[in-house]
Amino acid sequence: MTVDDDLWSAVGDPTRRRMLDLLLSYGGGTATSLSEHLPVTRQAVAKHLVVLDRVGLVHGTSTGRERQFRVDEAQLARAVAQLADVGAAWDARLRRIKRIAETIQRGRDTTSETG
Amino acid sequence: MEFGTIEREIHVDAAPEVVFDVVSSPEHLRGWWPDEADYPAVPGGAGRIGFGDCSRGGGTWEQFTVVDAVPPRHFSFRWTHEEGQVAAAGNSFLVVFTIEPAGSGTLLRMTESGFRERGWDEAKVAAEYAEHVSGWDFFLPRLPTYAAKIGSGAQA
Repeated sequence: MTVDDDLWSAVGDPTRRRMLDLLLSYGGGTATSLSEHLPVTRQAVAKHLVVLDRVGLVHGTSTGRERQFRVDEAQLARAVAQLADVGAAWDARLRRIKRIAETIQRGRDTTSETG
Repeated sequence: MEFGTIEREIHVDAAPEVVFDVVSSPEHLRGWWPDEADYPAVPGGAGRIGFGDCSRGGGTWEQFTVVDAVPPRHFSFRWTHEEGQVAAAGNSFLVVFTIEPAGSGTLLRMTESGFRERGWDEAKVAAEYAEHVSGWDFFLPRLPTYAAKIGSGAQA
């Protein structure tokens, strides 16, 4: 199981998640436009954008005066899938734990019944 | 749920003592997870678990350290820290099993955490920003769509 630590951390932060939400719902945005919807400064938003950009969750293009950012949906899907993978792996492990424990228990019950 | 923490629970028709044994002993661990398991199942017990053909030099070893073992109620461990490092928050994943009697059987709960802490310090700094940011409410409903897009391309 490979988990991309940087990617995970990038999505793990509440402000960055909110930024992704905003970028998704508005189809993109700039540090300025994002900061208008967040309780943090434009500078803080800009730093978060650098983080998101570094792990490929957003891409910036310089069209106007300010860089316009969009969510990379494929990369976001990858982050989400990693979390889903870990969850699915544990589901399978827990099913095996259940099966093993119940088999042992049945063995004990049978032994005690027959003396 | 804190993003980056996996939480699960399952009912098992077996006594807590049996379930504790299954989740904690190296012999049983091999039955439900790694191919190899070598560690003392006591608090602080350090060892490793192996995946794949370890006995013939193939496969992958992961470090494994027991954090706490309180039979038959609690078993926790850290794993994936670098060899030679002491397992701690920030260098490993923490898995916690809690075991409670439930009816004639047992309720087994597990959490795995540490995904967020491992990556990168700024995540902690940013955590100072209020948890009141409601992004998850907006974000979560969209996840299935994105997950579906890559589907079976996920890493195993």
